[in-house]
Amino acid sequence: MFRFIAADLVRHRWGALAVAVLIALATALGVVVTLEERALRLGSARAAAAFDLVVGAPGSETQLVLSAVFLQPAPLTLLPGSVLAELLADPRVAYAAPVGFGDFSDDRPVVGTTQPLVDGLGGIAEGHTFMRLGEAVIGAAVPRALGETFHPMHGMAEARGGVHTAITYRIVGRLAPTGTMWDRAILVPIEAVWHTHAPDNYGHEGHRHEQEADAGRHDVAATGTTPADASPDSVQPRTIADAYKRRQESEAAGFDAPIRPSAVADPAAPGVPAIVVKPRTIADAYRLRQAYRTDHTLAVFPGEVLTRLYGTLGDARQILAFVALNAQILVAAAVLLVVLIHVLARRRQIGALRAFGAPRVVVFAMVWLEAVLVVGAGLVTGFLLGYGVALLLARKISVQTGVVLPVGFIAEDGGAFLLLFAACGLAALLPAALAYRQSPAAALRD
Amino acid sequence: MPDLDIRDLVVRFTGLERPALDIPELVLPAGAHVALTGPSGSGKTTFINIVTGLERPPAGRVAWGGTDIGRLGEGARDRWRATHVGLVMQEFHLFPGLSALENVLLPQRLAQFRLPPRLRAEAGRLLERVGIERPGQKIETLSRGQMQRVAVARALVARPGIIVADEPTASLDAEAGAAVAELLSALAGEVGATLLVATHDACLIAGMERVLHLEAGRLVPAASLPAASAPVSAAPAPAV
Repeated sequence: MFRFIAADLVRHRWGALAVAVLIALATALGVVVTLEERALRLGSARAAAAFDLVVGAPGSETQLVLSAVFLQPAPLTLLPGSVLAELLADPRVAYAAPVGFGDFSDDRPVVGTTQPLVDGLGGIAEGHTFMRLGEAVIGAAVPRALGETFHPMHGMAEARGGVHTAITYRIVGRLAPTGTMWDRAILVPIEAVWHTHAPDNYGHEGHRHEQEADAGRHDVAATGTTPADASPDSVQPRTIADAYKRRQESEAAGFDAPIRPSAVADPAAPGVPAIVVKPRTIADAYRLRQAYRTDHTLAVFPGEVLTRLYGTLGDARQILAFVALNAQILVAAAVLLVVLIHVLARRRQIGALRAFGAPRVVVFAMVWLEAVLVVGAGLVTGFLLGYGVALLLARKISVQTGVVLPVGFIAEDGGAFLLLFAACGLAALLPAALAYRQSPAAALRD
Repeated sequence: MPDLDIRDLVVRFTGLERPALDIPELVLPAGAHVALTGPSGSGKTTFINIVTGLERPPAGRVAWGGTDIGRLGEGARDRWRATHVGLVMQEFHLFPGLSALENVLLPQRLAQFRLPPRLRAEAGRLLERVGIERPGQKIETLSRGQMQRVAVARALVARPGIIVADEPTASLDAEAGAAVAELLSALAGEVGATLLVATHDACLIAGMERVLHLEAGRLVPAASLPAASAPVSAAPAPAV
């Protein structure tokens, strides 16, 4: 029987292959949707794990979380420095760390923060943490070496911000991998960010933007190049040369100074866009959130905001799943039709088998088994293919965002696979029944 | 070896006024070699389908060796046919992708859970007997004459008491047809099986002991047949 099925499959290998491929593609479609959505959900939830509570200025909760946790650039209103000082002094707070974003280096966010967040993210894996204003710690996925230097740029490259030419950070440490956006980030002392964006500098910055627009977007973070080589010095018009020089000097001034952790506790310190808070207990977390939901501050649980986002994501997934399901149904119907036609085309062959004495049950079993083999092969291939594609997609997203998306099957998928397989087995009963009812006399009629 | 006993067999097809087959009485002794002749549409194929149990006789009695196959269910008829009837057809119905040996054994493999080793030996012997030198050769690479000889071996491998051939030589050239005709007679004689051949082939008819001639569903005396077989071909045969 198996020999016969094998011979028949070999004879109709292209047709069988086409059917299997069709089924595999339809299955893969559904698998990718399911896996990718789950990976996105798990990955972002993991990315938010280190961030129990985020405090920012009133505005969009979602944007606050996207900016503070996923480092998505957005111009957030600054919180007054006093909020950070207040939080640092609060006994319910295990630690509170500022997240000062806005600067970039090669499209990688340069984030100003303090030591507790460095530890909260998993600590330093290589080198040492920043101890001076001009020192930086890079995320695990930043392709730079310790000891390299770079100049931060204000705003994303596309936004054509200005290069803080005079400021040079030296990379002194590397974070342990976190599987989050922070793997692509560069962490610097918050004081350094304040220094860069000190109010008396903003006037010059604004002035310089106009020049810079023509000069191009040089991120001079490259290795070995001296600031003089790479800075847009040469294209600077003479008229503002003096101002530029003065600014350069003021920016550079004191960048070698050691950081003062106490500076952030100063209520008079400059503002920050967001503060990451680690409460001591869950009860403290709720109390803190309550306390900082005021007219001037906004406190959110990233997990909560994410759950809301997943709700939206879930709707999208349902639509995709619906599309995938319909594609699968169409394919299933087409395949069933093909199998039925195949069985009808083999009427005489099946009749001959019966005529020669093959029991009806055997003929039934053969047709069923052959259909299930082809369809099953398609299903298994489809699951593997879907897994592979989901993995590739996740990797691509990881490279782009730093968020590690855990692609994987769960027990539920096994159930879905079995269900799908059972459905195919049931559908295959139809052609098998057709063969079963086939009159053996048909073999003799010409 | 079973004898055939047919009484009051009438087969009608819907839409046709005359019955496709109307045989009040026919008795064939066990081991007889019988040719079934008649023009196209005379009911030969229907007759073959009925006596091999491929179709259920709607009325009357068709008994082989006392077993009325009209009373068997479809499954039972399949089983009965598998053990008692060896079939050879005009379009060989050999299965491509399988070797000659596998083709000979296929019906047995499908009908039995485990293939008895003696069947394999018998299949080898029969293939040698019908002149197939390489039993492992893929069936689609054989000539048509060789294919029909493999089909003959397949019909005989389970040692059936009845061998039924439907135009076994019609799609072969004269030489190959003669070889197959000879083999059929010889092999049926060797095992003492009842041989029933529906054919137009004069050469094949000549080798038979008896000729049944069908005209419009009825057995008629075959006046126009070769003289050699005329005396025994009178039909319907008188009741014993």
